Amino acid sequence: MTSVMHEDGPRGAAGMKRNGSASMRRLFAEGAKGPIGLLAALVVLIVVFSFLNPRFASIENLQNVLFQVSVPLILVVGATLVIQMGSIDLSIEGIMGAAGMTWILLSPNTRTMIDLGLWAWLIALVLGMSLGLMTGVIYAKLKVPSFVVSLGTWYVGLGIAILLYGNNSLPSLTSEALARWPTGLTLGLPHAFWLAALVLLFGLLISNYTNLGRGLMAIGNNEPIARMSGMPVNVYKIGAFAIAGLLGGLAGILATMQLGSGSTDIGFGQLFVVIPAAVIGGTALGGGEGGMIRSALGVVLLIILNNGLVLAGVDPDYQSGVFGLILLFAIIAVAWPERGRLKVAK
Amino acid sequence: MTYRSGTPANVEALDRPDKVAATLVRLRRMVSWHVIAPPLVFFAILLVVGIANPAYLGPFGISIATTSAAPILLVALGQAMVLNTGSIDLSNAAIALFGAIIFALTIPDAGIVAMIAVLIVLTLIGAVNGAILAYTQVPSFALTLGTLGILQTAALVTSGSETIYVSENRDLVTALHTIKVLSVPLTFWIGVFAAIFFWALLRFTIIGQNMTAVGKNESGAILSAVPNKQAKIIAFAISGFASGLAGLAIVAQAGSASASGLGSNLLLPGIAAALVGGTSISGGQANPINVVFGALTVAFVPIAAQALGFGAQAQSLVYGIFIIVIVALTTSRTRGAVIK
Repeated sequence: MTSVMHEDGPRGAAGMKRNGSASMRRLFAEGAKGPIGLLAALVVLIVVFSFLNPRFASIENLQNVLFQVSVPLILVVGATLVIQMGSIDLSIEGIMGAAGMTWILLSPNTRTMIDLGLWAWLIALVLGMSLGLMTGVIYAKLKVPSFVVSLGTWYVGLGIAILLYGNNSLPSLTSEALARWPTGLTLGLPHAFWLAALVLLFGLLISNYTNLGRGLMAIGNNEPIARMSGMPVNVYKIGAFAIAGLLGGLAGILATMQLGSGSTDIGFGQLFVVIPAAVIGGTALGGGEGGMIRSALGVVLLIILNNGLVLAGVDPDYQSGVFGLILLFAIIAVAWPERGRLKVAK
Repeated sequence: MTYRSGTPANVEALDRPDKVAATLVRLRRMVSWHVIAPPLVFFAILLVVGIANPAYLGPFGISIATTSAAPILLVALGQAMVLNTGSIDLSNAAIALFGAIIFALTIPDAGIVAMIAVLIVLTLIGAVNGAILAYTQVPSFALTLGTLGILQTAALVTSGSETIYVSENRDLVTALHTIKVLSVPLTFWIGVFAAIFFWALLRFTIIGQNMTAVGKNESGAILSAVPNKQAKIIAFAISGFASGLAGLAIVAQAGSASASGLGSNLLLPGIAAALVGGTSISGGQANPINVVFGALTVAFVPIAAQALGFGAQAQSLVYGIFIIVIVALTTSRTRGAVIK
């Protein structure tokens, strides 16, 4: 954008006109690569599924889809921040387990006689954020690849959840108000979705209007240059993982509320939705590209695909295969134009 | 900095006879952390287990540890070969499980022919992974995450989500588990022989050297006309083959296979074993023989955790911390290098 402005600056009115249309065209091409292509795919899917099963297009199903979208939508905000800087966070399922289990054991439940109210939220969220913080510090300070650290954190989180669960009975929510909250409707949309939309807005603000968000993009584009320009690269890296951990904790709480009982596997399968969603949305795994809205559209696309396949009567066994195939085609489509004899692909 | 430390030492080294310098370099490489750490870590953990529960050091303990280490070792060997080229294979455990299921489906009818045919098919699946990586230049981690999903579905569909028991020819497979040499089952010995074979491949053959070169510096390798695509395809094919052997070990141990049964949780232990075995996650460094120690260490972790009084429930937590600590200790750090 700025470069376009530069080119326009010194020229006369005639030149500006020509250049203006060129930049319009460029803007359109840029847009078509991301959201427009995604939106087209979404429309096609919705039309096809509506033909296959009329129930797909009903209001109830829309509410159902939005209900299912909310947890991965929260997660994808954190994941996008991390992927934009060229790292990867595999720990979301573990963090969800730890935070979700902590929250339910401190809220009105069938096992412990403790009800900390809002403090339960705070403690669970802090736990999620600390796990993210731990990942970030070990990654940025000890220079261990984020892939391995977050793999470790995944299991640490899962381990915490398993230890909290112990050998006792399944903790179920006893508070009707809490259990019903996610499905409750405001303005026709489920509360869970409103929460996710709020998080998405928060993510948009961070990534577009703060030094942190801009810095993460710069790190993903070219880390040595970002470092040499005096950016606090390590602080940004740790910040991104801390936010991802915090949102992982929130997603864990929401998923636990949706289920109505505590489970160590509360996050099972989310990694398979969130990372393909970010990639389909055009967030390149190499970093420096993509955006919140695109990732969010990616999540909606995958959940609609899943929902539509179920309504069309496809065996759930095929779900991971279908997602795997989509991920495969998406990354190949993204990487195809950038192939080259000398390109290093790891 | 570079001025002061670089000049005098280098001049001296140049003055020395080549042989002495070469020996020194070799010595330094021999005692380098990557090479001695894996056996050290293993013996440390063995010591812990031995003090807490001496029974584990007897024949019975050895047979338990090596039995549970066998599939981990086989998966880890393939992973180490892939990591050595600078990529990662997240689908190898799924290949092993899918392999176990088709072994269990075909061995009753076709016996040894089925074993060989299935191993070839799984090697080809690995090679396809490698070919997609080499020709489309996508990140291996995302690519194999995709194939992981497809293979999971394949495993569920071929098994009909049920446990497949090997009815006929059962002894043929389970012999690999029941026949023990020095109280170590054949499945583990297969892993040891594979490790020696892969070590020789990396050390003495051009194909192996090419793989290491691609892992150390891919741009440099490409500019030196190293066939980088071939190296990647072969590395992933090896991973598919080794995962196939792991699948065989699973069937031998259980006498059955299912999509959620024994061996459904091999991915992380496999990566951990490769890393604990001194394989660098950024490529260019792998010693398959050390991976044997890595696999034994990883198989011993739950036993050690229990011996130290952590319950079975702490296993995930211990695994997670263990991986982070080991990689933090063994990862190589270069000043200014970009870590992703």
